[in-house]
Amino acid sequence: MFRKLLFIIPALLLLCTACDMFDAHPYDGQITGEKGINAKNIARIQEATAGKTTIKFAMMGDSQRYYDETEEFVHKLNERNDIDFVIHSGDLTDFGATNEFMWMRDIMNGLKVPYVALLGNHDCLANGQEVFNTIYGTENFSFMAGNIKFVCLNTNALEFDYSKPVPDFNFIQQTLNEQTPNHEKTIFAMHVRPYSEQFNNNIAWVFQDVIKRFPGLQFCLNGHDHQIQVDDLFNDGVIYYGSANMEKKSYLVFTVTPDNNYTYEVVEY
Amino acid sequence: MKWLNIKKAGVLVAALLFTAAASYAQEKVSDSIAKLDSLPVTDSITVSVKDYRAGWGKLIPKYGKLQYAGNMGFLSIGGGYDYGVNKQWETDIFLGFLPHYSTSKNKITLTVKQNYIPWKLDINNRWMVEPLTTGMYLNTIFSDDFWISEPDKYPNSYYAFSTRIRINVFLGQRITYKFKPETHKYFKSVTAYYEVSTNDIYVLSAFNNAYLKPKDYLALSIGIKVQVF
Repeated sequence: MFRKLLFIIPALLLLCTACDMFDAHPYDGQITGEKGINAKNIARIQEATAGKTTIKFAMMGDSQRYYDETEEFVHKLNERNDIDFVIHSGDLTDFGATNEFMWMRDIMNGLKVPYVALLGNHDCLANGQEVFNTIYGTENFSFMAGNIKFVCLNTNALEFDYSKPVPDFNFIQQTLNEQTPNHEKTIFAMHVRPYSEQFNNNIAWVFQDVIKRFPGLQFCLNGHDHQIQVDDLFNDGVIYYGSANMEKKSYLVFTVTPDNNYTYEVVEY
Repeated sequence: MKWLNIKKAGVLVAALLFTAAASYAQEKVSDSIAKLDSLPVTDSITVSVKDYRAGWGKLIPKYGKLQYAGNMGFLSIGGGYDYGVNKQWETDIFLGFLPHYSTSKNKITLTVKQNYIPWKLDINNRWMVEPLTTGMYLNTIFSDDFWISEPDKYPNSYYAFSTRIRINVFLGQRITYKFKPETHKYFKSVTAYYEVSTNDIYVLSAFNNAYLKPKDYLALSIGIKVQVF
């Protein structure tokens, strides 16, 4: 019997090697599977929405550790065929661990429509940001959907101790200066909104002043607070819409129409 | 499906080994102390030298270990001490190497591991099987990006966990080959082991999530132990 065991145990080990279970460390940054997702999906969004004047997109976020709920969201969204793309407002992970990024990526990749993901404060923990940069791309980015420019920003200032400009006004200025054809409207997306404990609140009103220079500013999107929010933060008519976390099983749908108008709805699933 | 097969096979092997454990009585004789005591003592100087080595010699690790994977580094090297009536306890300290992979820096890890080995089954006078090893290990990572408790800049209990300290638990098995003392002067035995482990943040992640499967939150490691003393 023992002689048999000498063969069974190594055989088991060989089998397990195949299931990729030899983990070096929760924060090893060892990434298998798809990388550079935002850039690829932005190309898909821009191609699919080119020339469109009505854009309909879904916004969700704070999916950390809610794998089952996020998977359900993906199934529900795949049942509809009216959504152009999805924005994940950040906090893909709870601990910033490498596997968490890959688990959440594999769920979100189940979406039939393209999606982009923003950097959340939890995603910055330990070496999480480096993993985010590899799997999704830079933390500040912009893209066109029809005639709307979406400007996606890292606003998690508390995580960076002034080692990086957060929010990055150089990036915002460059984006403003770009001469993008058909850029008629602008929507900002960020993980934390101004006056959150994460935001650099000394420049909150400066930030608001700068984003209002963008053509046809519609509204701003944020996550982080784990509840639906509709707030005119600066009393200037620019509404900040916050998505709930995935635990609440809801997401937002925005329809931006050519008559310089938009509607939104909260969808519970 | 593949995992199910492995799990079934694993349960079968464990059951076989436990049955064997019940039917075998075993004893582990450690005679190094006896040997030392039986050395001829001729004068006071020899006595003091002997005492000195017995005292400080205890600090020399009794064995070395080399472990691959297990969420404590890509490759970890360490040593430790076995103790207890049947040497059923082992305490190890490892230094691990973690390549940078997709991040910018290579990292070093430190692990303190406590093992409990309840049964030792001799197959013959050369081979021995330990059907169950279990225990826990604390792992820390040397990098400025990680903290033990969250910095003061955060409001109280903002994240409420440590990115730097991981608590792991494991189950495993080992097989040992004992060298003939007349041919191997320096090494007593060599042991190969494997372990299945998980850690605090993977347990928290798996909790309430059917999406995560054992292959996601369990990790596998293999290692070698070389017994010197």
